[in-house]
Amino acid sequence: MTMQAPVPAAAGEPGRLAITISGLVKHYGSHRALGGIDLEVRRGERIVICGPSGSGKSTLIRCINALERHDGGSIVVNGIRLTADEGTVQDIRQEVGMVFQHFNLFPHLTAIENCMLAPQLNRGLTKARAEKLAMHYLERVHLTDQARKYPSRLSGGQQQRVAIARALCMEPRILLFDEPTSALDPEMVNEVLGVMEELAASGVTMLCVTHEMGFARRVADRCVFMDHGEIVESGDAASFFEAPESQRLRDFLAQILR
Amino acid sequence: MNGLPIDPALAWGSLPALFDGLKVTVILTALPLLLGLALAFPICFARMSSRRWLALLAEAFVTFFRGAPLLILLYLVYYGLGQIEALREGPFWILFGSPFGCAIVALSLNHAAYMVEVLRGSLLAVPHGIVEASEALGITRRNIFIWVKMPLAIRYGLKAYQNEVVSFIKGTAIVSVVTITDLTAVANSIFEQTYDPFTPILCAAAFYWALVNLIRIGFGLWGRWLNRHNAEGVAADVLVPGRAAALRRTSDLGQVTP
Repeated sequence: MTMQAPVPAAAGEPGRLAITISGLVKHYGSHRALGGIDLEVRRGERIVICGPSGSGKSTLIRCINALERHDGGSIVVNGIRLTADEGTVQDIRQEVGMVFQHFNLFPHLTAIENCMLAPQLNRGLTKARAEKLAMHYLERVHLTDQARKYPSRLSGGQQQRVAIARALCMEPRILLFDEPTSALDPEMVNEVLGVMEELAASGVTMLCVTHEMGFARRVADRCVFMDHGEIVESGDAASFFEAPESQRLRDFLAQILR
Repeated sequence: MNGLPIDPALAWGSLPALFDGLKVTVILTALPLLLGLALAFPICFARMSSRRWLALLAEAFVTFFRGAPLLILLYLVYYGLGQIEALREGPFWILFGSPFGCAIVALSLNHAAYMVEVLRGSLLAVPHGIVEASEALGITRRNIFIWVKMPLAIRYGLKAYQNEVVSFIKGTAIVSVVTITDLTAVANSIFEQTYDPFTPILCAAAFYWALVNLIRIGFGLWGRWLNRHNAEGVAADVLVPGRAAALRRTSDLGQVTP
């Protein structure tokens, strides 16, 4: 169970793999942020990544859509190998949506305009079609009544749900979440997690960096624990929480579940 | 005299001439504002370029034209360039042979140098997270610039731009040294003809004051429209009655958070 257990069902079936990461290395100057990560993600799999701050979990998912450029190893997303080539990066970003800790909505656009911008620019949708698409996904995050509001008039939870709808509007097959509830007031965490659970049930591939262990237990097919730029342990949610094998994970769980 | 420093009859009689001067001042403001801004964009990109030689070249331009007093610059262009024989015989003499052309060139260069820094500061103020979110959505760099960075940069830089425009208008008064009869020059010639220093100069001051305040009001309206997305700018709703009504409707349905 320790050290990035390969997923048996995926072995020899590359068509069923959403993401293949092997030997991924990333340095910031002399600091080694990622020290040779191997991870395979099946289509439709829901993975929760946790670990202490500075363990490289955000860096890992940010490498997948090339917000950070990796120094070594390889990343293959839906059959596309990530290179420095601008076109390849764009191709991968069409497949992968991302939700950020601080929402990062466009402050000068309304909720619905936030959702419409990328489909209009990337896919050449007309305004009417983009609006219909945006409304569809705003409905999925239960925000149709807030569609014409600017982000500054929405609560943190509502802003994060708009950010989720904005990512969904590009209809990505993979969604990355980078601590989506860490910047929220406690009473707003559940409305965001609720939407994420509904998404998980829809079959989209999800990689989620979070410390919401209740969410991990309910949703994750697999939990991954990282420390010092390495995957220390990974496994299904039940064994991950009930029978952690490594001392480092036991210590970590003791810290956050206390 | 009636004890007033102003002679109403002279003021009234001077109006047509002052209006002619105002026209020249407006043209000498508008043209360099447009040309300078157009010039500032490529120089700003060069200044922010990762190519060191390009950035240094742009920095040298800014340092020189911001450092050189406008009056000296105008002398250099008007008297200095005329010494170059090749220029006198070349096609550009149409431009540099006339005081008006020289004034436009000097003023544009001066304005461009200031605007490079205004533009650069505004672009640097755009939060990195918002740019990252655009990248993650697969929006191209060009489209990010047009639809995300510039719209936000304009909002951040509006006050600095307004300051630059206002001080620029007043700065155009120096063109009288190269024989252009702008507003200040007209007032000065009336003074020389009548020996009344107050009436023409105070009238000219009133014209400048009116022009500057017209611009201030214009910027105010523009800024209010641009910042309609800010929660505290509720007054902006009044400008768009339809939106205000729509907001009231939607806020009845959803929870409103300040």
